[in-house]
Amino acid sequence: TVRPKNEVEHKQLCAFGEYVAEILPKYIQQVQVTCFNELELLIHPDGIIPVLTFLRDHTNAQFKSLADLTAVDVPTRQYRFEIVYNLLSLRFNSRIRVKTYTDELTPVDSAVPVHKAANWYEREVWDMYGVFFANHPDLRRILTDYGFEGHPFRKDFPLSGYVEV
Amino acid sequence: MLMLSLQTTGLVGLAVAENPHERLRILYTKILGVLQSIPKDAAYRKYTEQIVNERFDLVKKETDVQKLQDKLNSGQIEEVIVQAENELSLARKMMQWKPWEPLVEEPPSDQWRWPI
Repeated sequence: TVRPKNEVEHKQLCAFGEYVAEILPKYIQQVQVTCFNELELLIHPDGIIPVLTFLRDHTNAQFKSLADLTAVDVPTRQYRFEIVYNLLSLRFNSRIRVKTYTDELTPVDSAVPVHKAANWYEREVWDMYGVFFANHPDLRRILTDYGFEGHPFRKDFPLSGYVEV
Repeated sequence: MLMLSLQTTGLVGLAVAENPHERLRILYTKILGVLQSIPKDAAYRKYTEQIVNERFDLVKKETDVQKLQDKLNSGQIEEVIVQAENELSLARKMMQWKPWEPLVEEPPSDQWRWPI
């Protein structure tokens, strides 16, 4: 069996994506809606805080809940890490994904002033990928061992690590 | 609905607002004031003015709190007040960020290609 296509929701998400892209042309590079009806905004890294604050505070887009903050490592690209924010709007029962990019050495603005929930998620992204977050209140390792060297989720980190256990 | 002194919003941390019409009037006037200093052709100004004017007209016409909540269709009146405060702070921040300008920087051509 195949999941039935929800055309109405698809159209609504497209319309909302165009609405946001019209309001924030300075930071939004691309907007896409996947075939599973998931709206994604592709952002320039300077625009993280403006876009997240807009999505949280604007009346038509009350995305008050940060559901997830992750990173994706694609080593072949110039900016290898893709930071992904998943937001949920409780008022409108709708989700949105915001994606940015950075490389190993460029710091990214922390989302903690906008969403307090981003605190530990950003510590995890720092620990696992090595993406530095500027203005983070407490950026330190969270999952790896105390003297651990390296960033495990990077694609060039071997599966069983460098140190024998 | 109980008498005013025993009312509760049912939401943690949100107190019942006495005189919500006045508070909303003040907030919406402030928002419109802040929006005046944004360039007229900015989409943010256009859409936010539309939303604020709609809600402001409803607030001016409807004096009963319960009916106003139903017409606005956006949760309790205290939540509407919180939303207006958020919109005001957002408008002030938008004045500094100026997101209506053209794109800051184009991404590298393979950045958003998927599959790689």
